[in-house]
Amino acid sequence: MMHVGMPGLRSTIQDRGRTGHVRDGIPPAGPADPIAFAAALELAGCDPDDAAIEIAGLPFAFTCDDRRIVAATGREVRIRTRGHVPGWTSVLARAGQEVTVEGTAVTRFAYLAVSGGFDLPRVLGSRATYLAAALGPLPRPLVAGDTLPLGASTAGVESAGHRIVPPAYGRVVRAVLGPHDLRFPEETVRTFFRGTFAVHADSDRMGVRLTGATLVPPDEELLTCGIVAGAVQVPRGGAPIVLLADHQTTGGYPILATVVQADLGIVAQASPGEYLRFQRVTPEEAGRLD
Amino acid sequence: MTVRPFGDRAFLIELEQRIDPAIVDHGRAIADAWEGRGLGDAIPAYASVVVSFDPARTPWREAAAVARSVAASSWGATMEGGGRTIEIPTVYDGPDLLDTAARSGMPVDELIALHCGQTYRAFFLGFMPGLAYCGMLDARIHAPRLDAPRPRVGAGSVGIANGQTLVYPVDSPGGWRLIGRTDLRMFDPRRDPPALVRAGDRVRFVAR
Repeated sequence: MMHVGMPGLRSTIQDRGRTGHVRDGIPPAGPADPIAFAAALELAGCDPDDAAIEIAGLPFAFTCDDRRIVAATGREVRIRTRGHVPGWTSVLARAGQEVTVEGTAVTRFAYLAVSGGFDLPRVLGSRATYLAAALGPLPRPLVAGDTLPLGASTAGVESAGHRIVPPAYGRVVRAVLGPHDLRFPEETVRTFFRGTFAVHADSDRMGVRLTGATLVPPDEELLTCGIVAGAVQVPRGGAPIVLLADHQTTGGYPILATVVQADLGIVAQASPGEYLRFQRVTPEEAGRLD
Repeated sequence: MTVRPFGDRAFLIELEQRIDPAIVDHGRAIADAWEGRGLGDAIPAYASVVVSFDPARTPWREAAAVARSVAASSWGATMEGGGRTIEIPTVYDGPDLLDTAARSGMPVDELIALHCGQTYRAFFLGFMPGLAYCGMLDARIHAPRLDAPRPRVGAGSVGIANGQTLVYPVDSPGGWRLIGRTDLRMFDPRRDPPALVRAGDRVRFVAR
């Protein structure tokens, strides 16, 4: 069992996302920063299908009943047991030992994985939490006193101390043009890839709002179409929104470009007021650069 | 018909830019064909389909070729005549019922009779879990969305807007004109499938 001491501001159980139900209007959910999530699982010796805790608003403190390998990832995170250990490193947590995941002012989403994984049932094929529809095996933010069942773990001392190099979380985000680019004025396409955008405070797991360079949306109304994470919607006002894990499955705003999967974490982890720029890539280049 | 890249792991297949049940059926046939290939999820909408794949399993070029082939070969493979008929018992007492009837220049009873009086097609699901866009309404009761969406609409609320009708599956913000409500659970994650109405189904509202 894991016992939650300090739950963070909004911490949820996430696995890599709920597939197979988008046609029924069910968003994929899953981690806002897929790379950090996958690294946490790998470091803790978990399966890629296992669940981890996505923490928004550190610190997060917990104990486990037995010895576990734990790992925390994200932007500027570290683990405190008796001393401090950097994030992106596997750590041995002894039975009953308090472990705290800490961040800095720029940390938005941290991922905490525990060896053995969380022994929670799948709902519609996934353990991911989608709070807007109370979907998932634990469809609410974690609270102090929560007790989470863990799977069997064989991880020993030798599994501690492994490290994955964290991504740079730079300011440049790669994006593929379109799919609605042909409907925008050419000047707006140029502006998007040359301009600088600031992250708005009103950003969450559904999407990151940007302000800055002025984009001109098409005059014509578009019919609602399906959406994927990374879509850069340009609503009437011209301030773009980059959609993330909790995005609605369909939408009616034109989509100028789409952030590649590998760079979703850069967008998700950008703090309000920080700047982002977009670099145009082809979808094939994106696949090779992963 | 066009096939455009949608990021590095999806394509948008656009058929037309209008709402027509035959085009909706065509899109659903493309979505079925894509999912039948086992490459990933597909999201059909009014006149388009988004098809997703995992580049770690399927190279982009191969996925692009399959997307073009599926889009081209699913012509005419419509599901006209398929789908179930779902009856939705409805109490017509929504907060926008009087206004909407007045806007259409008719008594409330007539608006109710027109809303119940035909069988709709569920075009596609989107916006939130289990929300089915159904149409088309009788032209006499077409009305735009509300100028200001409500911050909260209760699950089971029956709304109309833009010539279409829907039932809100979960509590959420919403801008459709609320004319009634149903006790049916439109979305239940413990059910399989979780959505009561699925794309292609026929939907009838029954006044209670």
